[in-house]
Amino acid sequence: MASTPSALIPCGQFKTGYRKDTTIFPTPAARAFAIAAVVLLCLLPMKIGGVELLSKYQMNLLIQIGYYGIAALGLNILVGFTGQISLGHAAFFGFGAFASAWLNNSFGVPVFWAIPLAGVLTTLVGLLFGIPAARIKGLYLAIATFAAQFILEDFFSRANWFTGGSAGTMAQPFSLFGYEIDGDHGYFYVVLAYVVVLYLLGTNLMRSRDGRAFVAVRDHYLSAEVMGINLTHYRVLSFGVSAFYAGIGGALFGHYLGYVSAESFTILLSIQFLGMIIIGGLGSVMGTLLGVAFMVLLPEGIGMLSKSVGGVFPAMVEGLAFVKEGAIGLVIVLFLIFEPDGLAHRWKMIKAYWKLYPFSY
Amino acid sequence: MKGTLFTAAAAAVLLGAGPAAAQGIFVGHLADYTGATSDVGKPYGQGVADALAYINAHGGINGKKIEFETVDYSYEVPRAIATYKKWTGEKKVAAIQGWGTGDTEAMVGFVAKDQIPYFSASYSGHLTDPAGKGTHGSKAAPYNFFYGPSYTDGCRALVQWAAGDAKKKGIAAPKFVHLGDNHPYPNAPKVACGDYAKEMGFTIVPPIQYSLKPGDFKAQCLSLKESGANYAFLANTGGSTISLLKSCETVGVNTEFMGNVWAMDENALKAAGDAANGVVFVVGAADWKSDAPGMKTVRDISKVSDASGNLYRPVHYMRGICSVFYMRDAMVAADKAGGVTGPNIKKAMEQMKGHVPAELQGVCIPSTWTAEDHRGTTTVHIYEATSKGGSQGIKQIGESVIPRKPEWLGW
Repeated sequence: MASTPSALIPCGQFKTGYRKDTTIFPTPAARAFAIAAVVLLCLLPMKIGGVELLSKYQMNLLIQIGYYGIAALGLNILVGFTGQISLGHAAFFGFGAFASAWLNNSFGVPVFWAIPLAGVLTTLVGLLFGIPAARIKGLYLAIATFAAQFILEDFFSRANWFTGGSAGTMAQPFSLFGYEIDGDHGYFYVVLAYVVVLYLLGTNLMRSRDGRAFVAVRDHYLSAEVMGINLTHYRVLSFGVSAFYAGIGGALFGHYLGYVSAESFTILLSIQFLGMIIIGGLGSVMGTLLGVAFMVLLPEGIGMLSKSVGGVFPAMVEGLAFVKEGAIGLVIVLFLIFEPDGLAHRWKMIKAYWKLYPFSY
Repeated sequence: MKGTLFTAAAAAVLLGAGPAAAQGIFVGHLADYTGATSDVGKPYGQGVADALAYINAHGGINGKKIEFETVDYSYEVPRAIATYKKWTGEKKVAAIQGWGTGDTEAMVGFVAKDQIPYFSASYSGHLTDPAGKGTHGSKAAPYNFFYGPSYTDGCRALVQWAAGDAKKKGIAAPKFVHLGDNHPYPNAPKVACGDYAKEMGFTIVPPIQYSLKPGDFKAQCLSLKESGANYAFLANTGGSTISLLKSCETVGVNTEFMGNVWAMDENALKAAGDAANGVVFVVGAADWKSDAPGMKTVRDISKVSDASGNLYRPVHYMRGICSVFYMRDAMVAADKAGGVTGPNIKKAMEQMKGHVPAELQGVCIPSTWTAEDHRGTTTVHIYEATSKGGSQGIKQIGESVIPRKPEWLGW
């Protein structure tokens, strides 16, 4: 029955091989939807009749979702899939940003190549700081990665040759075939390309032997070891992969902003990354992007809400900064209570609801 | 319930970001009210905001209102850049009243490309070179302006004062030290001023680092004591200076402290008490007790945020007002020359010669900008703080005019 691909999912499990079980898109329709979504995103920066569909600021929000999304996926691979913990993700994000700017400024490496190279350099740093994971876990590991955060942060503000010291460094705009991509509308495509490629890579990683090993380490490390999985190897590798994603995300951030300074990459950003993947859903590739989108758009949404009710409650506008920070904290707490599996879970519920409509069982 | 909330938030995101409908001239105002430099950021930012409101209430720019938004960016460079992107993405920005050195220097390239005149509260020497002709590797900052003597010129004036003081006290080989955080702002005058101090016959002691955030600085004070420095330049802002002076009083340091323009004011003096007695510092405009004719306008402006008119305003408040009024004068001239656009404002600024805004005679120091030189003024007022047994005060003890040497441009 399963020989011809059908747009519908059969009611029940009829899979006859692992290949079918791990397929990314369960039906051709799902694949078509995903491709349509990417095409739709490609249309967003276009102009219709000389009017831009989205303003520069709205593009800026989408770009933010893009580069944070890439970095957060790295953290989700480490935390959600491998079951390790890291409080130093922002430092790797920053290292990628500085490394890309440094490669470009000091060696004239084109930005096009500097971004992936920065990812590779950050991987090496991630592997180095992942070594403690070979021996320690849980809270102790959290503190060890905390050290990475502080060591790298201090390094950023002192290493003049690499980061420009406390004054920071300029990052040149992205260019392709001699054509400089400068505006938000152009840069969106760069980020979108990276998001698509790296999210596909991430999803595929989880279907591979290494990905399954990550999950095994997370679920029960003792059983995993008994099955012949080299714990040290996979724990450290997970740090490396996670740092690679952070590095690419950071590099995209640096070239977008045009300027990289040490103060962007504090422990607060590390915790924000954790917040993103918890809200999105630990161990869910799709959820990561949802969580990041939520975290980026939430302050904007609240800002606009309080502005629009400002006429009724003038105090709302004055206390905007406080309301924003407070609301983010409150939302995270509410999420942990009511939606512990994250937005990814909610998304599945919505899909199931419509799939079974009107007769859910 | 949750569904409604989400829908509402999503709707707000989709609908809310429309273009601003106002016809006024938009001026962005970046201030630090909650960050590391908020102690001096508050009076300065209040000065800027009050002056803008006052100008609007008194005719605006040839009848056009200035529409301004104050954003507290907590002295974090990324937040300043994000705000800048937000402003320029949403509307036509005529000019920006900015704040710190880190963010201003980071955005030099952006504002030059977008042609937005940027009036910073950072007086970093690096911002004074509009054409990039400085001999110390400065980059072109064509759209950056600030009112007041640069940090380096302020420090040079203090070095001159120290040289005279050393001679008076008979110190044969005086030692000079730079104290400040490892941050773009305190670092700005470090090399150039140290160089000048060497030229003036001082021995330079290795710089001592103390955080911009107030803390316990006894370790720093001990190193200062050990170094045997006679004159110490404080490159941070008031908040951390208070802690430093108190720590050094405890340790028993007898170095003469010299503060840059943000390092000392009446608030810091009050908080530091007798530990601040004898601190010499740079002031870039008239102080609140001055009887200059322009102080009448300043007191009217102060009433914008203090209806009673009784509030004492620290020295930074006046510089905030001056910064806005120079921008106002340039905007009025630009409006007559074809429109309040970035290039027109820049051109108007660069035509000012020994200029003082009409209502602020005696308050702002006469300033000159040209297309090659954005050192508005090189005149430095030197003040001394006194605090003994409950009676405190600041008074001017000197004035110094630093020569506009071409090799000092952008440094």
